[in-house]
Amino acid sequence: MKHWIRKAAVSTALVATVMLTGPASAQGDGIYVPNLSYRTGPFASTGTPLMNGQRDYITMLNERDGGLNGTKLVYDECETGYNTEKGVECYEKTKANAVVTQPWSTGITLQVLPKSNVDNIPILAPGYGFSAMADGKVFQWAYNPPSSYWDGAYMILQDISGGDLSTLNGKKIAFLHLDHPFGKEPLPLLEKLSAEHGFELVPIPVGLTEMQNQSAQWLQIRRERPDNVIMWGWGAMNAGAMTEAAKTKYPMDQFYGVWWSGHDGDLKLIGDQGKGYRSISWSVPNSESALMQDIKKHVIDAGKSQINQGEDEFDSVFYQRGVMISLILVEGIRAAQEEFDTQNPNAEQVRWGLENIKLDEARLAELGAEGMLVPFSTSCADHTGHGGGWILEWDGSKFVKASDLLKADRDVIRPLEEEKAKEYAEANSPWPVNEECSM
Amino acid sequence: MFYRTAGQFKTSYEADHALFPVRQDAYLLAFILLLAFVVFPLTASEFAFRALLIPVLIYSLAALGLNILTGYAGQLSLGTGAFMGVGAYACYKLLTVFPEMNIVIAIAMSGFFSAAVGVLFGLPSLRIKGFYLAIATLAAQFFLVWLFQKWAWLYNYNASGAIQVPNIEMFGITVAGPRAEAITQYYFVLCFVCAMTFFAINITRGRIGRMWKAVRDMDIAAELVGINLMRAKLTAFFVSSYIVGVSGALFVFLWRGAAEANLFDIPLSFRVLFIAIIGGLGSILGNYLGAILIVALPVIIGSVPEAFGIPIGSATVEHLNVMLVGALIITFLIVEPHGLARFWAMIREKLILWPFPH
Repeated sequence: MKHWIRKAAVSTALVATVMLTGPASAQGDGIYVPNLSYRTGPFASTGTPLMNGQRDYITMLNERDGGLNGTKLVYDECETGYNTEKGVECYEKTKANAVVTQPWSTGITLQVLPKSNVDNIPILAPGYGFSAMADGKVFQWAYNPPSSYWDGAYMILQDISGGDLSTLNGKKIAFLHLDHPFGKEPLPLLEKLSAEHGFELVPIPVGLTEMQNQSAQWLQIRRERPDNVIMWGWGAMNAGAMTEAAKTKYPMDQFYGVWWSGHDGDLKLIGDQGKGYRSISWSVPNSESALMQDIKKHVIDAGKSQINQGEDEFDSVFYQRGVMISLILVEGIRAAQEEFDTQNPNAEQVRWGLENIKLDEARLAELGAEGMLVPFSTSCADHTGHGGGWILEWDGSKFVKASDLLKADRDVIRPLEEEKAKEYAEANSPWPVNEECSM
Repeated sequence: MFYRTAGQFKTSYEADHALFPVRQDAYLLAFILLLAFVVFPLTASEFAFRALLIPVLIYSLAALGLNILTGYAGQLSLGTGAFMGVGAYACYKLLTVFPEMNIVIAIAMSGFFSAAVGVLFGLPSLRIKGFYLAIATLAAQFFLVWLFQKWAWLYNYNASGAIQVPNIEMFGITVAGPRAEAITQYYFVLCFVCAMTFFAINITRGRIGRMWKAVRDMDIAAELVGINLMRAKLTAFFVSSYIVGVSGALFVFLWRGAAEANLFDIPLSFRVLFIAIIGGLGSILGNYLGAILIVALPVIIGSVPEAFGIPIGSATVEHLNVMLVGALIITFLIVEPHGLARFWAMIREKLILWPFPH
């Protein structure tokens, strides 16, 4: 009996301490960059290499240069398991000192996005989130460089059509997507383009519970006989689609995926059978580049990485994309440091920095990452940069670059972005827009 | 000593039937309410509001709804998550179709939609029992989540297929949406939960509650003494789904701020069921204890290593957390299979005798 009372007292005291003190932040001295990571849960296999890449780039800067212009970057992960509930918890936990928040899931982005205006913390969602976030006047605090989902969908159609979308007339294109905000994201653009260019769009949703067993969907694909399949998949859905496509002998050279559907691990499952599968990407792995060699020397060989070396994770698309994501973020912080002449820029200043990223080819070469990332620059009106992307093709054992730089037609996409951004602002009124931006 | 009942004489039937036959219970409740209404709001950080207090209250309410159905009326249900979804979507539609509607009214009304759906899916309970009924409610779970995904009218044809909470004002104060203060939302939820709990305590103590308990303990006997089984079961479904629906509306509007259909999928149902089971079926207090264990404890454990400056990766903490909480659940169920509420009842019994047990 007695020890129960004692236990109860101890736990009450514990609760009280946590409540009173709130979360102790990991921030010591330096710039605090939290990341809402997911190394556990159903999406861990794709999340882990990305998080490793993000982490290792920042560790490398701290090791090689002693931080960014002499100030340490404090990288901190909060584990969400891709669960939106944990996402809220992590956002609240990390927001106090954060200069940026990286929500890492469309569901969490949805919850965090409306708060960004209130808490004044910029959201960095490279290559995910709402496509309409490109409209920087409306979404002052949100960034999705270097290309949005709508850009991605347009570029895939460009590659299918050989550059001229009017040749798609009369074709049938199946759109295999996760039945989730992420998968539905490109639908408005695809519908618009299909009406404009006269191709038939067949949306095929894959429910979250059906990710691993897509036989019904692939049966439909066989029945419909589309000229091409475009896939918007994530996590277990990619592996499911790959194995099913291989099983039904779907011609791989007609099969396209978004950048999140180009994970080495998924394609390795089917190896040679996946030859010819293409995925659009705004980053290209290059393990020989000066940057990657620095990471190898300062982080991996020094035993400071969590990377899985047995699985060639270092050479994978996702690991090196993670590196690129941190590179984009650090460029934003650097811009803020220089503009405001401070070592420790605050969230407001980093917001300005992210708006003024200039990652042209010369700058990328300076950073030792030539050709690894699409060159782009952001502005107060353009929070995406629309750098475009390359087609990566699976050659049976790895992804190789298989096209020149593709760029989406901004004149087609911009009106849609403005329309959706306006809709969002109206639904969430009062929603402050950036009046000062005159671009 | 603390719980000495000596000197508390009951001289009337009313006193014997009072809500708190022992005076100390009333003091304890007053103390807890004082904590909830005064001490926590004064001391808690925004993180504590958003990650601990508000979710615990909302999950307790959902478990309370389920407990009325499963714990009091004995009808096993696996569709709680979907009924919460009905409440949330109903509230969203009410507030977008009639933007000038008061949010309290909208939330209170959304419970009726959920109650109607609950009664509909409760109809099979008239013929089937136990695990078979659980399967029937499972059908509700799958069907409703499918409906939330496919029926675009429910989410106003939003491209992302998710519902988002707009900024909602009440008497000049923003109570829901991104601009709402955590403390306002906490008080809002707290008042709702207190009112619902008060209602639940009284309904389960009264004629209807006794009817439910009779049906739970032996339905044939209940029928023989003149209880209308259909009315008993359907009222249980109605009241339970009403409370669950209200908790669903609070879940999205006062806490999450946005929701997609799969949020209301079966993991949520199980989570609420676990809270009810671990807390104790057939008790009101148990829902709160269960919610504290399942919802708040992982958050607290998660912040322990950081608070003491122990360098462990957040993924490792998460793994440890799952193991620890799992072990705790098993321990509690072994120590007291009837749940935490029963555990408290035992402690209370012993405290009444302490320090002179015989």
